[in-house]
Amino acid sequence: MNFEELQKTWQAQPAGARVTIASEMLLREVRRNARNFKITIFWRDVREVGIAAVLTIFFAWHGWHHRQWTEGVLALACSGIAAFMLVDRGRQRRRRPVANEPLKACVVNSLQEVTHQIQLLRTVLWWYLLPIDLAVAIDVLVPLAPAWHNGWDVLIDTGFVLGICALTSWFLYWINQYAVRKELEPRRRELAALLAGLEGNPPPDAKP
Amino acid sequence: MTAHEQESIFRRWLDEHLGLMLKVVRGCAASPPDQEDLFQEVCLALWSSLPAFRGEARETTWIYRVAFNTALAWQRGERRRRVGHETFLKFEVSPRVQPSHADALVEWEIVEHLYAAIRQLPPVDASLALMHLDGLSYQEMAEVLGISENYIGVKLNRLRKQLAEQLQGVAHEL
Repeated sequence: MNFEELQKTWQAQPAGARVTIASEMLLREVRRNARNFKITIFWRDVREVGIAAVLTIFFAWHGWHHRQWTEGVLALACSGIAAFMLVDRGRQRRRRPVANEPLKACVVNSLQEVTHQIQLLRTVLWWYLLPIDLAVAIDVLVPLAPAWHNGWDVLIDTGFVLGICALTSWFLYWINQYAVRKELEPRRRELAALLAGLEGNPPPDAKP
Repeated sequence: MTAHEQESIFRRWLDEHLGLMLKVVRGCAASPPDQEDLFQEVCLALWSSLPAFRGEARETTWIYRVAFNTALAWQRGERRRRVGHETFLKFEVSPRVQPSHADALVEWEIVEHLYAAIRQLPPVDASLALMHLDGLSYQEMAEVLGISENYIGVKLNRLRKQLAEQLQGVAHEL
């Protein structure tokens, strides 16, 4: 059987699958899905940016109320993170892959999106964890520093707070890197291989 | 585009291009539950893409693009399986011929094997095979995939041989 015969058989095939579509239900479902998608995106933004914005307002108000400039540093760190997330989200939204693009363009955009996500998580220490850690360290160390000569208790308390802070940051950093290794890197390799297949090149990670 | 226009185009596409959508779905997903899931994803993506449709691309080109892009994302597991949704579709894969029509049964078996062979191909090759079997021109395939017609020619040459060889044994057995 040559390919032309296969093609003829293929094109002569009946539906092959008997399909029953409840079109009213389908329309209801597509509308519900489109609405849910928008709601999900909205609440994700509110969660990520909103928390940082609320903390900014809280620390700014608390610092001003108690005349503590160190809390102003915390507010600054939180507002910096919120601004960074907003700018990044806005830039990425413009580059999001669209389903009606040619396959290659969609793959290129998906690859850029995943690569950007990987970069974001790999540098989470610099734009998220370190600013918060430094601000917390300043907020803890500056008010307690004059009392250090009073004894070990103050030093132990200071160390404990900073230790908890460092441990939390380490855990957050680890969990982000784990997500990169287990989820994003395999997806990036898969997309790169797909793109290579579309360009006629061997996949970048392929062994010779 | 008004909601009414969107709905009427969507209904028409479902009527006119259901076969095309089903072929992509069956070429990318093996089991009926997966096929149902992917088909629903394709429908959702198609609905969402409609406001951007200006008629500059052919309808079939547009639908192939949406269907392949959705199927590839679905295969990568980027779209989570939707739970708690209403099932608006039921698949029942079986030959719609009388048992006495032996030729039709053989053809149905060949087509089933062809689907199985396509599902084993890398995603880009599977997309090309599905479009080529459907008789799309090189230009149309290039518009769907965004690659050159020359490269499509090179790939199809190999694919045609590969599929014919794979199905050779099956045709003899049947």
